[in-house]
Amino acid sequence: MEVLKVKDLHIGYRDKAILPPINVSLNEGNLIALIGPNGAGKSTLFKTLTAYIKPVSGSIELMGKELSSYSAKEKAMLIGLVLTERPDDMFLKVYDVVSSGRCPYTNFFGKIEKDDENIIQESLEIVGINQLKDRYFNTLSDGEKQKVMIAKTLAQDTPIIFMDEPTAFIDYPSKIELFSLMKMLTKERNKTIIFSSHDLELLLRYTDDIWLISKGKQLISAKKDDLIGNDILKEYFNLKEDIKI
Amino acid sequence: MTRNKINISILIAIIFLGILLFIINLLVGSVAIPFTDLFDVLCGKKSNPTVATIVLDYRLPQAVTAIYAGAALSVAGLLMQTLFRNPLADPSMLGISSGAGLGVAIIILMTGVLGGSALSTMGIWSNLGVSLAAFAGATLVLMLILGFSSRVRNMTTLIIIGLMISYLAGSMTDIMKFFSMKEDIHAFVIWGMGSYSAVGTSKLMFFSTSITLGLFASLFMSKNLNILLLGDLYADNLGLNVKRNSIFIILISGYLTAIVTAYCGPIAFLGLAIPHMTRFIFKTSDHRILVPTVMLIGMIVSLLCNIIARMPGLEGNLPINAVTAFIGAPVVIWVILRKR
Repeated sequence: MEVLKVKDLHIGYRDKAILPPINVSLNEGNLIALIGPNGAGKSTLFKTLTAYIKPVSGSIELMGKELSSYSAKEKAMLIGLVLTERPDDMFLKVYDVVSSGRCPYTNFFGKIEKDDENIIQESLEIVGINQLKDRYFNTLSDGEKQKVMIAKTLAQDTPIIFMDEPTAFIDYPSKIELFSLMKMLTKERNKTIIFSSHDLELLLRYTDDIWLISKGKQLISAKKDDLIGNDILKEYFNLKEDIKI
Repeated sequence: MTRNKINISILIAIIFLGILLFIINLLVGSVAIPFTDLFDVLCGKKSNPTVATIVLDYRLPQAVTAIYAGAALSVAGLLMQTLFRNPLADPSMLGISSGAGLGVAIIILMTGVLGGSALSTMGIWSNLGVSLAAFAGATLVLMLILGFSSRVRNMTTLIIIGLMISYLAGSMTDIMKFFSMKEDIHAFVIWGMGSYSAVGTSKLMFFSTSITLGLFASLFMSKNLNILLLGDLYADNLGLNVKRNSIFIILISGYLTAIVTAYCGPIAFLGLAIPHMTRFIFKTSDHRILVPTVMLIGMIVSLLCNIIARMPGLEGNLPINAVTAFIGAPVVIWVILRKR
């Protein structure tokens, strides 16, 4: 099933487009990496696709319907988000953060019902942080915090998840663990995950498609196999050296 | 689970402490009242008319004012701290108290210079006039802040704008005072020290009803406040209309502060310190627990401050601001140090 279809999309702030029109589409269960230099527009693209900012022009279809036609609550049930910014409050518990993912489903006072409780528990277990649930979020390591934010997004129960540089600030073993978790979520739980990253060598082992983005250039979607033994990366990013993949 | 049990025990202890402090508030003052006399008065039994007057007309309304003002200012502070995710945020930072001060300065100058007589000579009208002017000034600043808040996305920018409005209002107040009559400057200084005695029996009904409305509104914000703790982007992604929500929070917080400041003067530090104390006592950041407990602890600390301000042996009252700062400032320093 096609979860995302982007047509002639111009992204940018106010009326200024920062990239040529974007045309991509995505099927469910895919793990997509967005790579490109800082300042190329990765964040702007994410903010536009998650409906935080409006597109300059063009259309974004989500699950067969225009993104702007969804209500805030409906969007919250479709798109999950994992960011590099982290909550910073002394007495915020891991359980509190994860349960906040249920917010679009709970009542006016945010009461956690039995169903919510089950999904929260399941999310904690999938990510493997059940033993951390009573800890204060602020006392965790970066890698653990990252997992909590992913568990929050799983509790949100959305078909699509965007992750902004999930592998930044965490150590190598945690990166590998995170990549295999993302892969598992797409293959076994049918989530569609789009993430940005600079860990090129690692991400090639796990992703399905790769979106290349660079200042002023057309965004291209490439199959992993197309990149291997090819000069696409070298040409796209204007590199002097050969990249052997 | 155990934390819940601890919290419930603490809560029960705190409620008892609150009742105790309330009774002490009625007993203690420049005239000490024996407990049996107080009991007679409260039960409507025949008693010494002087004692009845002191209790029913002065101490009871003052204690009730302390309770409402404490709850209102503390919740207003909690709302600001969560909205701005800044431990030092409180409504006075947005210039709301300075706006109230400016309102008071304007009415004093107007009656003094244009009316030709000092406001303080006008009896009951001076009290009412000061309250109305303070409320108008606070509301004006609140509207300004709301106007800016729909334009700027960044909360730090809004804090800076608030601080600048605060300075502007402060300097305008100073200019007004320069042209005011001596007697009225004295009245202004008294207002600025804060007092729970100005509400009195006649205005207590209006005062308590308006504050109750604001407190109820803040209870309904609990879920949104919890989501805001994650940051604006996450809150937006979870379906919260961040901008509209910010406006509601500023409105409730400003409204509560405006009412208290209008009647009691700018009371410092309760809004800043009580939310921190409550977080440390209950070890939580869940606003479904925090909002009501902040109200409760705000009431209790406010009652305590009122007792200290009227310690036996003191002729008249200490300014309430001197007492709240004495309790509040160390709490804030302690919190900042603990955070590291």
